[in-house]
Amino acid sequence: MKLLRYALLLLAALSFIYPFVWMISASLSSEQGIGSLTLLPVGLTISNYTTVFERIPLGRAFLNSLFVALVTTGLVLVLGAMVGYALARLRFRGRDLIFYLIIFTMTLPFQITLIPNYITMVKLGWVDTYFALIVPFVMNSLAVLLFRQAFASLPQALIDAARIDGCGELRIIFQILLPNIVPTVLTITILTFMGLWNEALWPLIVIRDESTMTMPQMVTLFSVGGRADAQLGVKIAAAVMLALPILVVYLFFQKHFIRSMASSGLKD
Amino acid sequence: MAEVKLVHVAKAYENGPRVIRNATITVQDREFLVLVGPSGCGKSTLLRMIAGLEDITDGDLLIDGKRMNDVPPKDRDIAMVFQNYALYPHMTVYENMAFGLKLAGLPKDDIRQRVSRAAQLLEIDALLDRKPKDMSGGQRQRVAIGRAIVRNPKVFLFDEPLSNLDAKLRVQTRIELQKLHRELNATIIYVTHDQVEAMTLGDRIVVLRDGDVVQQDTPINLYNQPATQFVAGFIGTPPMNFVPGRLSETGPLYFTSTGGQVQIDLSNSQPAARLQAHRGKPVTFGIRAEHLSEQPPAAQSVHEQALAVEAVENMGNETLVYCPIDTGQLIARLPAGYVASFGQPIRLFWNLDKAHFFDAQTGQAI
Repeated sequence: MKLLRYALLLLAALSFIYPFVWMISASLSSEQGIGSLTLLPVGLTISNYTTVFERIPLGRAFLNSLFVALVTTGLVLVLGAMVGYALARLRFRGRDLIFYLIIFTMTLPFQITLIPNYITMVKLGWVDTYFALIVPFVMNSLAVLLFRQAFASLPQALIDAARIDGCGELRIIFQILLPNIVPTVLTITILTFMGLWNEALWPLIVIRDESTMTMPQMVTLFSVGGRADAQLGVKIAAAVMLALPILVVYLFFQKHFIRSMASSGLKD
Repeated sequence: MAEVKLVHVAKAYENGPRVIRNATITVQDREFLVLVGPSGCGKSTLLRMIAGLEDITDGDLLIDGKRMNDVPPKDRDIAMVFQNYALYPHMTVYENMAFGLKLAGLPKDDIRQRVSRAAQLLEIDALLDRKPKDMSGGQRQRVAIGRAIVRNPKVFLFDEPLSNLDAKLRVQTRIELQKLHRELNATIIYVTHDQVEAMTLGDRIVVLRDGDVVQQDTPINLYNQPATQFVAGFIGTPPMNFVPGRLSETGPLYFTSTGGQVQIDLSNSQPAARLQAHRGKPVTFGIRAEHLSEQPPAAQSVHEQALAVEAVENMGNETLVYCPIDTGQLIARLPAGYVASFGQPIRLFWNLDKAHFFDAQTGQAI
C-alpha cells in the first residue's frame, strides 16, 4: 500500500518535472535531436544560447525586467503596507467602503482595463518609458488585502507602545509592524515579482522601443516574430533564459518562506 | 515628578454612548493611585486617555498644571506598561528598552547607561540579548517595566500588568512593584480589576462603574466606609454580606429581611440615628464576614441568630462558614480551629456597630 502511494506520488511529481527537464535538455540539444523525448540532450551544444544572444539584446531585456520587477515590487510593498495599515488600524469615515471597492477591483480581469490604461499611457506620454511598465502595477489589491489582514491580526498594544515610544505612523508600519509579518511580506513579494516578471501582454502594448523591452516581451516577439527562423531550439533556449531567474528567486525565497513561517508569530 | 489632574473628563466614541461620563480625579505627586472596577467600567479607557492613546471628548487632563488633551503621547512624559507586555517581538531586550530613547535622540552612551541601570534594578541584565519569545511571562513583564523606567517619565501608567502572570508570580511581582514605587519615587496610575491588587498596592483607590467614579479614597477607608453598596460588594474578600429588607415604620427601630427570617433590633445600635429618616423604606443591610462571630464581640449592640451551615471552607488561617438565609446566604469568617457540623445550626453574633445600610433604590450608603 505504502509502495503504491509512493509510486503514485512519484508519477505525479515526474509529470510536473518532466516538461522542465525536457525544456532544459532540448535547449542544449542540436536542432535534429529536439524531436526525441529524452531526459538528456541529444548532440549536446550551447549554440542555441549563443544564437539567442546574437540575435536579440537579451541581456538588456533581463536588466529591464529586473529593474521593472524590483522597483514595482518595492512600491507594491510600500504602498500596499500603507493602505493595508490604514484600512486595518485607522478609524475614518468610508473606510469599509474603500476596502470593498479595492476588493471589487480584484474581480475585474486585467483585459478589461487594458484599453483605458493604454489610452491613459498615451495621454501621459508614457508609451515606451519605464513609467508605463511600472505605474499601472504599483497599487495591487491583493497586496492591500493581505497586508490588511496581517496588520489586523497584530495586537493593538504593539502600536500603542510604539506611539508612546515616539513613533509616527510610517515608523509604526515599517519599523514595528512589518518585521512581525515577514511571511506576508514574502508572500506578496513572490507573487508580485513573479507576476511582473512573466507579464508579456502589457509590455507588448505599451513598449515598441527595443531598449525598453522586458524579457518576456522580447522572448515572445523573438519566438513568434520570425527572428528565430523557425528554429525550435533557439526559442526553447530563450524560454529557459526567461524562466531561470524566477526559478532561482523562488527557490531562494521559499527557503526564507518556510523559515519565517516556523519561527515568527507573536507569542505575547 | 508630577501631579495628574482629570477635570470633568468624558469619553464617547463616534455615535456611541459615553464610556466615561464625568471623571474628576487628582493624582498627587508620587502617589500610587489605583483605578479599579469590573470589566467594561472604563478604567482602561481612562488610562489610555491619560496616555494619549484615546482622545478626550470633554474635560481637561493636566499634568503638572499643563493641559495635555492635544499633546501627542510621546510628549506627555509618561510611560506605560501593557497587560500583554507589548514588547517588540523582533527586537532584543536591549533594543526594546532603548528604542524610545533612540527615537528621542539621546546619545548612545546615555542610552546604554540608562538601560543597564534599569536592567540591574529589575535583575534582567543577563537577558539583554534575548528576544521576547525566549523569555517567560515574568521576565517579559520585567522588560516591559524596564522599558518604562528607562524613559524616566513623570508618570507611570500600568494597565493590568499582572493579569497574565500565574498566582504565585503575581504576588511576588506585586511586592516588587511596591518596592519599585518606593525606589523610583514616581507618580503611578495603575489599572486593575483585581481588588486585592488595588488594596495592597494603592495609596489611594478610585472605584469606577459604568464610566462613573463611584468613590475615591484610601484602601482602608473604602473597606470600612464604602459610599455605595457596589463599592461595599466589590472591595473585600469574601464580599460583604447583603440582606435586603425594610426598616420598621413605627415603634422600636427594627430591620426585617424580605422573607422575615432576619429581624434585627437596631434601637440601641450606632447606625440608629441616621436610619430614622429611612423608616418604613426598603434598605439593604450589609455586614462583613469578620463581623459575624461565634463569640459575642465587645460591641455596643449585637444581634444573635442561629443559622444552618451549608458549606465550610477551611483556609488554614481561618474558616469560612456559609449559612443560607431567606434572601441568599451569609458568609462568616471564623477562627482557624472552628469545626462546623453540617445541618446543625450555628449561633452567630452580628456586630451591629460595624453594620452598613444602603438605600435599596439608589444603593447609596445611609
